[in-house]
Amino acid sequence: MGQGAVTPAGVGIDALLHGHPVETMTSLVSRPDLPWPVFKVKLNDPAFERWQKEPRLRRASPLSYFLVEAAHQALIGLDAIELAQTGLVIAFSTGCLTYSRRFFEDIVTQGHRAASPVLFPETVYNSPVSHVAAALHLEGSAYALVGDETAWIAALKTAWLWLEQERVKQVLVLGGEEFDSASLDAYRNARWLARPQRKLGFIPSEGAAGLLVRRARPGDSKIISQMDDGFIYRSKTEAMAAGQRCLQHFDSHLPCHGSAQYNWLAGIERKLTQDHRPGPAIGNLAYLGEAATASAAWNTLRALASLDQHHPRLLVPIWGSTHQIGALQIENQKPSTGS
Amino acid sequence: MKRPVVITGMGAVTPLGEDVAKSWQALVAGKDADVPLELFDTAGCRCHRAAVASLPALAEMRPKALSRLSRASRLAIPAAREALAAARLLDSAGKSLLPVLPLSVSTTAGGMAFGENMLRNVLARKHSRLLGSAARYLPQHQIVDVQRALGFEGPSVIIANACASGANAIGHAAEIISSGMADCVLTGGFEALTELVFTGFDCLQATTVERCRPFDLKRSGLLLGEGAAFLVLETSEHAKQRGVTPLCRLSGYGHGTDFFHLTQPQPDGQALVEVMRRASEAAGVAPREIGYINAHGTATPVNDGAETRAYRTFLGESLDRVRISSTKAAIGHTLGAAGSIEAFFAIMALITGNLPPQLNLQTPIPEIASALVAEKEASRPLRHTMSVNLGFGGSNAALIFSRYEN
Repeated sequence: MGQGAVTPAGVGIDALLHGHPVETMTSLVSRPDLPWPVFKVKLNDPAFERWQKEPRLRRASPLSYFLVEAAHQALIGLDAIELAQTGLVIAFSTGCLTYSRRFFEDIVTQGHRAASPVLFPETVYNSPVSHVAAALHLEGSAYALVGDETAWIAALKTAWLWLEQERVKQVLVLGGEEFDSASLDAYRNARWLARPQRKLGFIPSEGAAGLLVRRARPGDSKIISQMDDGFIYRSKTEAMAAGQRCLQHFDSHLPCHGSAQYNWLAGIERKLTQDHRPGPAIGNLAYLGEAATASAAWNTLRALASLDQHHPRLLVPIWGSTHQIGALQIENQKPSTGS
Repeated sequence: MKRPVVITGMGAVTPLGEDVAKSWQALVAGKDADVPLELFDTAGCRCHRAAVASLPALAEMRPKALSRLSRASRLAIPAAREALAAARLLDSAGKSLLPVLPLSVSTTAGGMAFGENMLRNVLARKHSRLLGSAARYLPQHQIVDVQRALGFEGPSVIIANACASGANAIGHAAEIISSGMADCVLTGGFEALTELVFTGFDCLQATTVERCRPFDLKRSGLLLGEGAAFLVLETSEHAKQRGVTPLCRLSGYGHGTDFFHLTQPQPDGQALVEVMRRASEAAGVAPREIGYINAHGTATPVNDGAETRAYRTFLGESLDRVRISSTKAAIGHTLGAAGSIEAFFAIMALITGNLPPQLNLQTPIPEIASALVAEKEASRPLRHTMSVNLGFGGSNAALIFSRYEN
C-alpha cells in the first residue's frame, strides 16, 4: 500500500531509488586518529523539522526521527479511522545505540551517580515504537522485534499473522538503525569495514524504511507471496549451507534481486543466486551502506520497484549478518499498471 | 482462537530456584530472593540489592563453550530444556525430537554484559577480544545458543516490548499456532541482570532501597531480578497425537499500547482495561470467572495505583472474589522474562489451586486490599487464571489460562 524511506542519500522513495549518498569520515572511539568512511542521514533535512515540534520526540534519538518520518511517508492517505486500525511492527538490530553508548560511557567515565534519567528510557528497544505509535496515532497492536537483517522478515510475518487474525486492517512494518561510532570499533574488529585496498568490506550506514501492508485483494498489483527464515549459522561454512537450505524453499528459476554487494556474505550470495538466477541489474542503484534491518527494508522496497514485465516475480534474499538467512518472494500480479 | 492452543511443558530458572518445582515451592511458601547484588559494582547507586538467580550447571558443555555463553544464555538454556523435557520432546541425549521448532522469545537486554565489556574496552582503547564480546551481546546469539544446545532450528522471533515482552512472546506463539503457521512452538523469555539496566532503573529512582511492597500504600519502588521461563505450546490435536496430556489451555491473549507517557501508565488504567477485555473476549471468559490474577505490580507508586484502578474497572464487583498477587516482591522484576515467569506462576496456580502470597504488605491499597492473596491462604479450585504485564513505552499484555478438559 504505502512506502517510506529515510536514507543517507536523502529522504523519500525517490532518494532510495535514485539518490547517491556522500561519505563522511568518522573516527573510531578507540582510535580517534583513525577515520573511516560512513554514510549518515542528514538530520538537517527539512523533512525532520516537523518532528522536532512533537513533544514525544523532543528527547528522542535520531533513530526515532528516521522511523517516524519513514512511517509518515508510508501512511500518507490514511484517515484517522484507518490509522486507529493500523498495527505497527518495527525491526531493530542495535536499537537506540547512540543513547545507550552515551549512557554507559557516563557510567564508566564518571561513575554511577552520573547516570542520566533522561537518556535511559530512550535506550529501551521499545521506545521508538512507542514514539512512532503515539506521534502518528496508530492504535493497533505494536511490537518491537530484534535480530539481524532477518528481523525484517520476522516483522513481515508478524504483520501477516495480525492480518490473518483480523486484529488490524493494515500493518506498518518498519526497519531502522542509527549509526554510532562505537559500532565502528566492533565492525573493524570483525574486519567487516571497507578498506581502499580491498574489494570487499562495507560502509556502515543508518536510516529506516517502511512498508504498509494489508491482506492481498483482487486487483492488488504487488504482493509478498512467500517468506522463509530460520536457517541459522555460526560460521561462513554454515552460512553457505544455511543459504542453500533456505533457497531450496523457493522456485529455482526465480530471478534474484541481490543485496549483499559488499558485506562478508557477498561471496555466498554470488555463488548461490546471482550466478544462476539473473535478475534486475542492481549495480545501477547507488550503494547505501549497511544498516542491518534498514538495509533489509531498503532492499525489499528497491526490489518491489524493480518488478516489471521482464521480472514479474523476484527472489529477495535477506542475508542476516550475524544469525540466519531468509528470503522473500515478491510478485507483480498486474505488470501493466506499474503501481 | 481458531485452533485451540494447549501448554504441554514448562521450564524455569528463577531467583527462587533452578527449576519449576523449586521455584514454585519457594514462592508459595512465601520466600523471597532479595539479596545484596554482587554481580557488578553498584558503588554510587542508591540501591544495592536485587533478586539474583543461581546458574544451573550445564554439565554437557565444555568449559570453553561455557565461557562463551552470556549469563542470559546460562539462564535460558536450562529453562528451555526443562520445558521440552516436560513436554516429552527431548530424546535420551537431551536433544529436541523436533528438528524444526519455531521459537517466540522475549528479552530486553540480551547478552548486554558482553556489550558493556566491549564498550569498556573501546573506551579504554583496548582492542583485544572485542570481536567475540561485540557479537554475542546481540539477542539473536542467545537464540542460537538455545537452538544449538537443544538440537533444533527454525524461525524465531525476538520480541522486545520492554516489560510486557514475555507475555507478548507467549501470546505471539499462540497466534502462530492458532493461525496454522505451526503446530508446536517453544516460547518464553530470559533476562540477566546487567550494570547498564540496573543503573538505569536506579537513576530513575524506580528501584527501592527498602523492601519491595507491591500494592502497599508505603511502596517505594521495585526490586530488579533475573531469570528465564519457557513453555511448550501446541495444538491440542498435536499433543493428542503425541500422547501427551496438556497442562492447561492458553485461552486468551490481549495486547495494546498506552500512549499516555513513555514511562508511566495512564493514571485511570483504561488502556490496561482494554487489553484485559480483549484477552477476556478472546478466551470467552467473563471477568468474574477469573479466579487468580498474577499482577504486574512493580511496587512503584505510579504503576500500582493505575493497575489497581484498572482491576476495579475490569472486574467490577468481582474484585472482591478474585485473588491477586504480584510475585515481583519474591523474584524481583525480571523485565523481558517477567511475562513468561509470571505466566508460569499463573499456570501453576491454575493446576494446583495454590496461590502465591502477596509478600511484604503493611498497609495495602484499600481499593484492592480484599483481593490480595494472604500468606498461607488455603488452596482453591480455579478454572481460569490471568497474567498481566505493563511495559515501558506503554506496551500492555494479558494472558488467560484455562483448565484443560478433554
